[in-house]
Amino acid sequence: MSKRQVAMVMDLNKCIGCQTCTVACKTLWTRREGMEHMLWNTVNTQPGAGTPHNFEKMGGGFKDGVAQPGIRPTVEDFGKAWEFNHKDVFFGGKSDISLAADGGRHGKGPNWDEDQGGGEFPNSHYFYMPRICNHCTHPACLEACPRKAITKREEDGIVLIDEDRCKGYRFCQEACPYKKIYYNEMEGVSQKCIFCFPRIDEGVTTACSRQCPGRVRFVGYLDDPEGPIWKLVTKWKVALPLHAEYGTEPNVFYVPPLSPPKLDEDGNATDEPRIPTEYLVSLFGDGVHHALETVRREQDKSRRGEPSELMDLLIARKWLDMFGPFQKHPRDAARMRPIPANRQGFKNPLGEKDPLSSDEVMASMAESSEPKASTIRFFSKAEYKNGGRA
Amino acid sequence: MLVTRRIKDVAAFAEPGDAGWARFEPVRIDMIAAPLVMQPTEYIRNSWQGREYGADPGLEVAAVHDGLRWAVRVSWTGVSPGGTDFPDALALALPVRGNPVLMLMGAEDAPIHFLRWQANKPGVKSQLATGIGQSTNSGPELDCSARALARDGRWHVVITRVLGSRGDVAPLEAGGKTGIGFAVWRGGNDERGGIKAFSIDWAELVLDA
Repeated sequence: MSKRQVAMVMDLNKCIGCQTCTVACKTLWTRREGMEHMLWNTVNTQPGAGTPHNFEKMGGGFKDGVAQPGIRPTVEDFGKAWEFNHKDVFFGGKSDISLAADGGRHGKGPNWDEDQGGGEFPNSHYFYMPRICNHCTHPACLEACPRKAITKREEDGIVLIDEDRCKGYRFCQEACPYKKIYYNEMEGVSQKCIFCFPRIDEGVTTACSRQCPGRVRFVGYLDDPEGPIWKLVTKWKVALPLHAEYGTEPNVFYVPPLSPPKLDEDGNATDEPRIPTEYLVSLFGDGVHHALETVRREQDKSRRGEPSELMDLLIARKWLDMFGPFQKHPRDAARMRPIPANRQGFKNPLGEKDPLSSDEVMASMAESSEPKASTIRFFSKAEYKNGGRA
Repeated sequence: MLVTRRIKDVAAFAEPGDAGWARFEPVRIDMIAAPLVMQPTEYIRNSWQGREYGADPGLEVAAVHDGLRWAVRVSWTGVSPGGTDFPDALALALPVRGNPVLMLMGAEDAPIHFLRWQANKPGVKSQLATGIGQSTNSGPELDCSARALARDGRWHVVITRVLGSRGDVAPLEAGGKTGIGFAVWRGGNDERGGIKAFSIDWAELVLDA
């Protein structure tokens, strides 16, 4: 059991499906060879098959505390990175050629059913649901690994795979009921979201949360009564885990989405929400009723001009307050001290191709007691506008 | 008992298809599925309950040496089709020191030196184990090689290594005696890690002087 648990709350009322989180994560962490298909952060349309496709039917997790068999998602299930024939289309000199993915033989991409949703017009509905590794309190991946290659950090409960111990047996992929573990065929190891632990260690929130333009993601400690997570999960009980029945005690929570009223045959608004509550219950459990009711009640209060702590929290008027103790700017953290060298068996995502932040350089800087300037060059806004010059 | 005959030069024997191997009668090694109760995690025990694995592959072994280098030819049934998630694989085990128990994959003070071949990678990997789930990704360095041939549904793999001993390299000396063990994984059946067929105890390995 970890001493503390870092956690995330995602407010699904605010997610606009822009995938900025996905791109922030992709560019930061999954650029090594063999990681092409990896999106440690995904945003899918619900109702939908999700990523990997139909992950909810792939087993794993625990039932009455007993580990359940699961299946390994394939690269195709995740949705492989397609290769396009841009060269042929733009420079091939053929007039009858059209743009095609994987020579026209592409499978389903990671976001294949985007904006498809459910329901019949005029009651069609959908919402976006971002997913990362849940950094579970009872991680099925950790318990399945025969190599003890997966650990849960004592100080904050972040679940990490030690790539030096991992032998690519992929039992973790089978056991994880959320199917948020990927396999790197080039390196023969499993890989997954690391909750940006090098940033967290420096007081900087995760890239996905900091980059989110919709102010969807809250980050903090689960037991911090001053922080947003405790308030949303424990005090107000409006943030709920996804598929708690999987038995892993996930530490990513969701504020279920409100929806406009369902329309009757004459086009008049009814008392029913357009997104069926039973569908939300199938994802987030019975707590949905209380959560939706609470958010609506507080919304009404706010509309009447009365103060509402919950509305202030969810609206996130002060952006940095969303991140609990992790409010530092990455630039400032890097200036004070370089991001520590990998102490968890996690390798530099750019590998040897990164001339500025190799593991060796980082290690030598981390060992030094004196703070040094970062090897990573960050520009101020003024410098950036001026082409990187002061 | 596996007797390693001394010959003039093992170089040609590095090829599993070399006709010279026909002169040496192979020894049959009995193998069983690694018991489910020995699997280190509940997930593995639960997910493999009732599934077949570790079927006796009919493993046959012959070995030669030339005073400098040892070559062992291992044949077994079970060539998986291509495109599986896990490769067919073979590991041979030699005790380093301290009488390790093969079934327990050695101990901290009694390590086992493994030479592992797998169908999707060239060469052979040297690994050191000090218990179940405690094998290293890279073991002691030594001059070794592996060549493989799949014929009529059987793998024929020759692993060679230098004789002698150094650090954690298992001792193998002309005129000496030690134990040898084997493990086989059928990749097409998702076998990997502890899900394997293995020889329960050490077979005696004797090298001609």
